[in-house]
Amino acid sequence: MAYLISEEAKDLLEAVRDFCENEVKEQSKEYDKTGEWPKEIYDKAIDMQLQMLEIPEEYGGFGLSRVDVAALFEEMAKADAGFATTISASGLGTKPVLIAGSEDLKKRACDIIVDGGFGAFCLTEPGAGSDAGAGKTTAVKDGDEYVLNGRKCFITNGGVADFYCVTAMTDKSKGVKGMSMFFIEKDTPGLSVGKEEDKMGIRTSNTCDVVLEDVRIPASNLIGEEGQGFSIAMQTLDQARTWMGCIATGIAQRAMEEAIAYGKERVQFGKPILKNQALQFKIADMAIKIETARQMVAHSLTRMDEGLPFSKESAIAKCYASDIAMDVASEAIQMFGGYGYSREYPVEKLLRDAKIFQIFEGTNEVQRIVVANNTIGRF
Amino acid sequence: MDILLCLKQVPDDSVEIYLKPGTEEVDLDNVTNVVNAFDTYALEMATRFKEAVGGEITAVSVGPEEARNAIKNSLAVGADKGYLISDPAFENADTLGRSEIIAAAIKQLEDERGKPFDVIFCGREATDRATGQFGPQLAETLGTGIICDLVDIEQTDEGIRGKQETEEGYHLVESVTPCVVTVNKPPYDPRYPTIKSKMAARKMKIPVLSAAELEGAEAGEPNVEIIKVYEPAKREAGIKIQEETVEDSAVKAVEMMAEAKVL
Repeated sequence: MAYLISEEAKDLLEAVRDFCENEVKEQSKEYDKTGEWPKEIYDKAIDMQLQMLEIPEEYGGFGLSRVDVAALFEEMAKADAGFATTISASGLGTKPVLIAGSEDLKKRACDIIVDGGFGAFCLTEPGAGSDAGAGKTTAVKDGDEYVLNGRKCFITNGGVADFYCVTAMTDKSKGVKGMSMFFIEKDTPGLSVGKEEDKMGIRTSNTCDVVLEDVRIPASNLIGEEGQGFSIAMQTLDQARTWMGCIATGIAQRAMEEAIAYGKERVQFGKPILKNQALQFKIADMAIKIETARQMVAHSLTRMDEGLPFSKESAIAKCYASDIAMDVASEAIQMFGGYGYSREYPVEKLLRDAKIFQIFEGTNEVQRIVVANNTIGRF
Repeated sequence: MDILLCLKQVPDDSVEIYLKPGTEEVDLDNVTNVVNAFDTYALEMATRFKEAVGGEITAVSVGPEEARNAIKNSLAVGADKGYLISDPAFENADTLGRSEIIAAAIKQLEDERGKPFDVIFCGREATDRATGQFGPQLAETLGTGIICDLVDIEQTDEGIRGKQETEEGYHLVESVTPCVVTVNKPPYDPRYPTIKSKMAARKMKIPVLSAAELEGAEAGEPNVEIIKVYEPAKREAGIKIQEETVEDSAVKAVEMMAEAKVL
């Protein structure tokens, strides 16, 4: 079972699989140890145009359905979740512009990605995580410009992005309704990259503070209107979450495949350990969870393609896929026994990679709030 | 330069294969087909050559409908046109048969174009049977020169100059065109298709050339008779010589070899 995809996407899947097998999977092991951002892998991925998968056709993209793209992202995630996260984070960074930006901004953002650049989405601040409305970054209008000050943290692609979509308060007195969203290109004076996180997992992705000190940008870089920033950010996350579910599903799939391969090879008590029904049941449980997660991702993406509401489905997909990615990776380690705990074998990395998917782009607690609100309704 | 590129689909050689129990038939049921690795090097070299000097690449492959994938992949990375040479009559063709079929196809395409191909690229060998005979047989059938085992190629006033890899080093060999070249592993890797080129290649038409359209492509029965197909004998466990010192081990090894009448 897998995503039901077009014949065209099947062709692409073969090419992406080939690329990931030869250029990402093994290479990422070393980068996982060093924490270095593997520019040469990303250069090759850009040569292949993998960064353009989420760009709409009218701005130079390929016009594939979202489920087609998901199958390709899962393949990337199977090779290395940090790699898939980096590519996907450019999609996240582009979404605010695509949701509410002017035609000019849409073209600029998409052109940057098409030309091989990276995007980043900057919402989180040291004091504003799940409570995103508590952000302290400010934007003050000065003639035809805005002047931004503040510090964003945990920004995926923060140190490598060519543009940033940044939330800032234009009117603190209005709370979240006083938040606005801005498009800032790298090399804008006053914008700098702060501390780089030394992370537990997805170590081939770059996560940094982004510092704004009197950053002056043209007023036309405001995305949407003043006061719409929080709404744009939430719409952005609504969409992006499903993609995180997709990558988490890829981690789980990899973990299961590793567990099956090892279970067939490892002999104890005179037979491969996978001959034991207890372990076959573990694999069955993994398959049940993975397939359920994958189909939830597909369902949410299909609703997006169809223009139907998808907030609840997206939250379920992200929450469920990341929860089961942790379960499956943990069970895969269990099947490997002592070897699973060793860095020499591939499964401990999967558990470290999976954990962040329960946290970023809205913690799974926040996802449950979204699901509950959408299920229970107002009363 | 007008380039013709010969491609062959082969069973994935990264997979270990066995005979079906009790038969002389290789079990390829679960082995996917891939483009012969040396042909992918030929494609990359031909593409770089085309990018350097201009011209176009026409890719051909003899095989069943599935071989269309090999051509499609080449269209996604550098080839401009592709033809599938397919006919049930070609199924049993061996290396010589295939070279005659492709030679007939080349003549047919040259007639249609009204001009010859300048350089005909193929891999140095296919990874399935590894005979290395296809290129030389094709050159012989076409009556052209051949340079084997190229790792680099450039244009000269009269034709091409190829860097040929040998066991001792390299030869620089020049030839007039038309000429056949076979390609060894060059010092670079084949490129990946871009998403866009892969999607564009899907939409390109790949005409089929059948036996009826190819004069001289008979190749019904193989010219080579296979007498026996068998798995390589399993290597026997060796003897470990681990005396106290290296010198003692060497003496012991020589003694044992003398005893076995190897020396």
